[in-house]
Amino acid sequence: MWIYEKKLQYPVKIKNPNANYARIIISQLGGADGELAASMRYLHQRYSMPYREVVGILTDVGTEELAHLEMISAILYQLTKGLSPEEIKRAGLDTYFVDHTAGIYPIAASGVPFDMKYVGIKGDIIADLNEDLAAEQKARVTYDNILRLVDDPDVRDPIKYLRQREIVHYQRFGDALRITQDNLNSKNFYAFNPSFDK
Amino acid sequence: MNLNERDNLLRKIQAEDFALYETVLFLDGHPHDEAALAFYSAHRDTLEKLKREYTKKYGPLTIYDNGDSKCWHWIDKPWPWEKEAN
Repeated sequence: MWIYEKKLQYPVKIKNPNANYARIIISQLGGADGELAASMRYLHQRYSMPYREVVGILTDVGTEELAHLEMISAILYQLTKGLSPEEIKRAGLDTYFVDHTAGIYPIAASGVPFDMKYVGIKGDIIADLNEDLAAEQKARVTYDNILRLVDDPDVRDPIKYLRQREIVHYQRFGDALRITQDNLNSKNFYAFNPSFDK
Repeated sequence: MNLNERDNLLRKIQAEDFALYETVLFLDGHPHDEAALAFYSAHRDTLEKLKREYTKKYGPLTIYDNGDSKCWHWIDKPWPWEKEAN
């Protein structure tokens, strides 16, 4: 089970609200490579993993992703706090506002709501870990793109932190894949699923 | 390891944890209820004691209580969804 800790993993303190920034950063909440997809991916892949090290990595990275989901929500909350209807309209956030007001609803920047279709769970350790390695790189690219579009240092600082965590997670999933390949018979590790075939 | 003893201790922790959680939900909506606050304090202390005992005998319940300086027991099997863990 989970226990909630009443703090962010890294501080978010944004002086100036900005509806434009909120419109693009929301992709890391409900987009294909966002933090909600990441947490769902890892926390649901755990069950079919045959090695305890890999279960541990998926549990703890998946839990950290929930903390990142909260950080992105905090960024969106502060970016949209106290905006006037004119500011919302000017930034094009009016199409979001009409449905969700200033609530935090997971969608991609394009407006498409979060979908579990973004998450791959194949029940095969090689397939799933390769999905995870790619997912971390895709999330890193999205943060790179956000950093190309956002100038405010108050927003860039937590985004840079989150970008760095994607790189660390990529390295840890690299460990997981190495442990898996060390455990599998080197002649057949692509032809054999250790959680299923005995 | 005596499995029955572990299972019994885990059941006690789950029961205490549930009682505490019910109280937490109630207190969220009734933050000045003295009876609920007293119940919370008593059960929190009991739960802490039980969790300390469990951790010492059977390993960590959270990432913050791996007691061994030689080995990371956090990843040891069984994980909570396995029958043997319940």
